[in-house]
Amino acid sequence: MTEPGRSHFWHSDGRRLSGLSTLLLLLPFFAIIAFVFVYPILQLLVISVLEPHPTLENYARVVENPVHLRVLLRTLWTATLVTALSVFLGFPVAYYMSRAKGTVAALVAVCVILPLWSSVLVRTAAWSFLFQRNGLINSALMALGLTSQPFKLLYTQSAVVIAMAHVLLPFMILPIYGALRSIPNDYERAAAVLGATRLRILLEVILPLSLPGVVSGSLLVFLTALGFFITPALLGSPQEMMISTLVSKQIREVLDWPFAAALVGVLTLFVTLLAIIFSKTLRFDRLMGNAS
Amino acid sequence: MNIASARQSASGASIRISRLEKRFGAVSAVDGVDIEIAAGEFIALLGPSGSGKTTILMSVAGFEFPTSGTIHVDSEDLTYVPSNRRNLGMVFQNYTLFPHMSILDNVAFPLKMRGLRTAERHARAEAALATVRLAGYGQRRPNELSGGQQQRVALARAIVYQPRVLLMDEPLSALDKNLREDMQLEIKRLHAELGITVIFVTHDQSEALTMADRIAVLKDGKIQQIGPARQLYERPANLFTAGFIGEMNFVDVAVQSVGDNISVTLPSGETWRLPATAAVEPLASGEAAVLAVRPERLQLGTSLPGQVVAVTLSDIVYAGAALLLIGRLPDGTEMRARIPGASQLSSLVPGDVATFTIPAEAMLLYRGKRR
Repeated sequence: MTEPGRSHFWHSDGRRLSGLSTLLLLLPFFAIIAFVFVYPILQLLVISVLEPHPTLENYARVVENPVHLRVLLRTLWTATLVTALSVFLGFPVAYYMSRAKGTVAALVAVCVILPLWSSVLVRTAAWSFLFQRNGLINSALMALGLTSQPFKLLYTQSAVVIAMAHVLLPFMILPIYGALRSIPNDYERAAAVLGATRLRILLEVILPLSLPGVVSGSLLVFLTALGFFITPALLGSPQEMMISTLVSKQIREVLDWPFAAALVGVLTLFVTLLAIIFSKTLRFDRLMGNAS
Repeated sequence: MNIASARQSASGASIRISRLEKRFGAVSAVDGVDIEIAAGEFIALLGPSGSGKTTILMSVAGFEFPTSGTIHVDSEDLTYVPSNRRNLGMVFQNYTLFPHMSILDNVAFPLKMRGLRTAERHARAEAALATVRLAGYGQRRPNELSGGQQQRVALARAIVYQPRVLLMDEPLSALDKNLREDMQLEIKRLHAELGITVIFVTHDQSEALTMADRIAVLKDGKIQQIGPARQLYERPANLFTAGFIGEMNFVDVAVQSVGDNISVTLPSGETWRLPATAAVEPLASGEAAVLAVRPERLQLGTSLPGQVVAVTLSDIVYAGAALLLIGRLPDGTEMRARIPGASQLSSLVPGDVATFTIPAEAMLLYRGKRR
């Protein structure tokens, strides 16, 4: 995407960095990435096709066994729901943050970012407390007389989706907020004076212009959701496993490393495919008209 | 064909702004402004930043609701009507073309909002583009056009639905000088062709003077003077306008007597006699006053009738069409003269005492003090 001859690596006096300085700057980072990420992934992929003997059997098991296939599809479906829910919850908040000023705006920003500083485990535990049979939600519903019997909330897919959307919401809100912030106020005013109602301003101007933020937020949330472990493991039903739980089971309980590796291989394939599709089909620079 | 399509437009609407006030907390951005604008008139709101000119325009556009006062377009009260139901055209300083739409879709946007079918709105958008001499640019993206072209597209978009009022918020200040002058002519031409009422906000006085039928000079949320360019320039109504519009020499004087003539004493002790018409504001003897003279009204030499004044020159600046002479009166008050046709002046050097004549009708008197 960057034009040839343009680089972001510069000397302080404006000259381009030499090859050596570039190497020194990037080497530690890439060394760690190579050691803790690329190497284990490759290792797993190798295991998935070489053990117990050179074969694609492990992959066949993922697709042929309906139980495993269902786990895969459920994972994709859950990630989709989580993404949709966080766009739905996140966009209005991001819009408000981008337009508001003063104390309330600062407060909202803190509320969005603060959860990032607490652990996922804590936040998930909080949800399991709320979702319990005699937890806050059920007691409230019964106190209001909306139901006589407590609902089964914990260990359901809904619980997983709601809690995951909550955990991942900041990753949706922040990119959308960034995109909305870069839209000048005058566009809304221009659209209004040209005859657009608030709804049409949103649909025809604000939404299309913030699309890059929505897409990158969705990508972040969707891809993270695909591999999410703690929340599905704590809040989900054992009968409705997600792929990460299945991988963990295969490694820790069944000790079937080749099959676990094949599952990781399938997940990696999905992630890579998605990333490629997004970057090819949605040409952000064209979408934004290459605006200055 | 471009003119024909534009001509169908209804001519402009009249606008009445009465006792408009806008307060932000304790600050009055607009403080009791009354403006009557005739149908088809081109009016400029001119003033330094913070004078309230933009707030007035925002109130007419419906982006701000005034604290009190009313805005009528023709006889309809629009004071609290939302922007999208005012049916006004508006051009912004930064073009505000939607970057995700083609030029044609940008121009057709207001027609889409009004529920026109695709074929018709595209045809009318094409015609509007032709009116601003950008026929054939419809398929491009805003970022593929120059600043001047983008502002012309914004103009086409603002007139394509044939509004009867066009609001312009410093539309030319983002353009460089040559382009600005082209666009001034372009806007004047469109105004003449469409007969639309224009309110034009600017801080550039030469832009206001050349373009507008009438100019409202604003300061601190109040109108200082409203009138045609010639009136503003030749007989500014108060000291602020006198200093704000064009170049002006100011001399603090004391009024001695008021009658058929007015006698004033200069700081140097000299007494000048001025015609009674020189007093822009009513004066009484004994009051402090300010004498104002435009630099180009000073005549070198004493061949013509008028008040003679001796100036010790400090700077002689060649300024192309005219020669600018800067000097001081005996008491130190600065005096400037702009002399066209500089050939006979070659002998003057800084330090010389030059003698000028000021025609009686070129002198204006205001109440108050400059410093």
